Amino acid sequence: MSALALLTALLASVGETDNSRLAVIRTPADFTLTTQDGKPFRLSSLRGKVVLVSFVFTTCNGTCPATTHRMVLAQQALAKAGLLDKVHLVSITLDPARDKPAALREYMRLYDIDAKHWTFLTGSPQQIDKVLSEWGMWVRPTANGQLDHPSRVFLLDGRGRLREIYDLQFFRPRWVCEDVQLLLNDDASAKHR
Amino acid sequence: MTSIRCWTVMTLTAILFTGLLGLALAPAETCLSPFVKRLEKPEKYLYVFCVDADAKDNDFLAVIDVDAQSPKYGQILYQLDLGSAGNETHHFGFTDDRTHIWGCSLFSNRLFVINVADDPAKPKLVKAFDSSKETGLTGPHSPYALPGRMLISFLGGKDGGLPAGLAEFTNDGKLIRTWEMPHEAPYGYDVAINPDLNRMVTSSFTPPQNYRKPIAQMDLKQFGDKLLVWDFRGRKLLQTLTTAASPLECRWSLKKDAKHGYVNCALADSIWVWEGDAQNHYTARKLCDTGKLPVDLSQSPDGRFLFVSCFASDEVQQWDVSDLKNPKLFSTVKPGVEPNMLHLTGDGQRMYVTNSLLSTMDRSDDFWVRLIRVGPDGMKMDPKFNVDLTKFKTGPARGHDMLLY
Repeated sequence: MSALALLTALLASVGETDNSRLAVIRTPADFTLTTQDGKPFRLSSLRGKVVLVSFVFTTCNGTCPATTHRMVLAQQALAKAGLLDKVHLVSITLDPARDKPAALREYMRLYDIDAKHWTFLTGSPQQIDKVLSEWGMWVRPTANGQLDHPSRVFLLDGRGRLREIYDLQFFRPRWVCEDVQLLLNDDASAKHR
Repeated sequence: MTSIRCWTVMTLTAILFTGLLGLALAPAETCLSPFVKRLEKPEKYLYVFCVDADAKDNDFLAVIDVDAQSPKYGQILYQLDLGSAGNETHHFGFTDDRTHIWGCSLFSNRLFVINVADDPAKPKLVKAFDSSKETGLTGPHSPYALPGRMLISFLGGKDGGLPAGLAEFTNDGKLIRTWEMPHEAPYGYDVAINPDLNRMVTSSFTPPQNYRKPIAQMDLKQFGDKLLVWDFRGRKLLQTLTTAASPLECRWSLKKDAKHGYVNCALADSIWVWEGDAQNHYTARKLCDTGKLPVDLSQSPDGRFLFVSCFASDEVQQWDVSDLKNPKLFSTVKPGVEPNMLHLTGDGQRMYVTNSLLSTMDRSDDFWVRLIRVGPDGMKMDPKFNVDLTKFKTGPARGHDMLLY
């Protein structure tokens, strides 16, 4: 291998993200949880796709409906941009005690969510606690029986790396489409190196 | 049936979301990052970042009871020992979820991560680390919340020189990335983001090599006079604006749909305004002349008023900026010698004040926390609230930045 080729390979290996506006924030550990249909679901099964991950609970009367509504709008924008087949949405419950698969199915029905591109997940309280901790999320019971929690949406690239975190104010469908396209371009350029 | 159900859910959600978005856009305390969760009830605790005045004992965070119903109102409840001395602990910032405070220190480069959520009356030090080791930057100044992350502005680069820079960390303190200020505008100081406009503004002070000297020995030519306008999502520099010397605290206007913001130019005794046009292109101009050495800048929740502390003329000024072409001095108070940091509550009615700038710049050793009441007639000092910071077992402490819980 020539010195130039070696240098090129090295530059490729240190990461195409160096020049990307979406830096690698971290790589969350893989997990297996249970879908709305009661089937096991492994996050790493989505490798190769860009993934949007939210944390909600179905009886929330605070920010969760807004988060899910925004995810619906983002999904519609991704479909319009022809990107939806390369993207998957995941919503993980913050309230595993109440959000069993049937509750998740009913929630999806209320929002007309097609399971082809969007999976809702639950698990044992221990499993959910572990995932929340890994993702820097938390829940605290409040006096009115609700749960206090951050409202964030996470963007993963095709290699399962966390590349952006949105809050509600910053989770705009057009910007999500731009970010998804950027990650798809990154992944495509990585494959060609 | 499905479409009707979905339409109903969507409509209700949209209504709810509009309300929630309103909440999200409402100011927490008015000068915090817009990504920080707001305080939805009157404050109970005031956290003050304190420098041991003679730098012999450990620096600390003081917890002051500011619950108006509490029998201990106005008293220091707790001191969190930061485990080291001589840090020049300076500015504070909440994480987006308001569970942790990040504190920056100008002399040691240490960043302190403090848990305030588990027991707000007794915060715990979670992590303290030398931020210069990983970033190559020095003089960490402004901790600014991003969703799930912290953005830190640094005043210096390698060996306390220039260029300054910015760094992003995860909320638990892992470095994500750094970038340097441009060669033609190498200074750093504050940062302020307007997500709606996708713009970030940074300002200019002087590097550690200069501010660590006694004030008489500082080189006044080594202070910046630039505001940088960035594409926030792209972290890309778009414009370099020239102001007067040492533009410090950056505040986007809180007026609805405003495309402007303010900065206090400390060495030019003035407030400047930056203004964007329809193409999101910015210009800067002087807005008004202030008292001597304006060092901190706060804003009323409706964006009508600016509050500026004038360190060298011992006053806090309230400016009515509802007409940007004709700003008016609305009221003035004299809290005591060298007022510095201002912290206005989300309702705009109570403004806490400390009076240390830097150990190299303070000219008094009488340190305190006081309270300004803000009403329709302007500002008035609250004579009942006066926290003495000179009577600790370790001696006097210089109180600087503050946060509420």
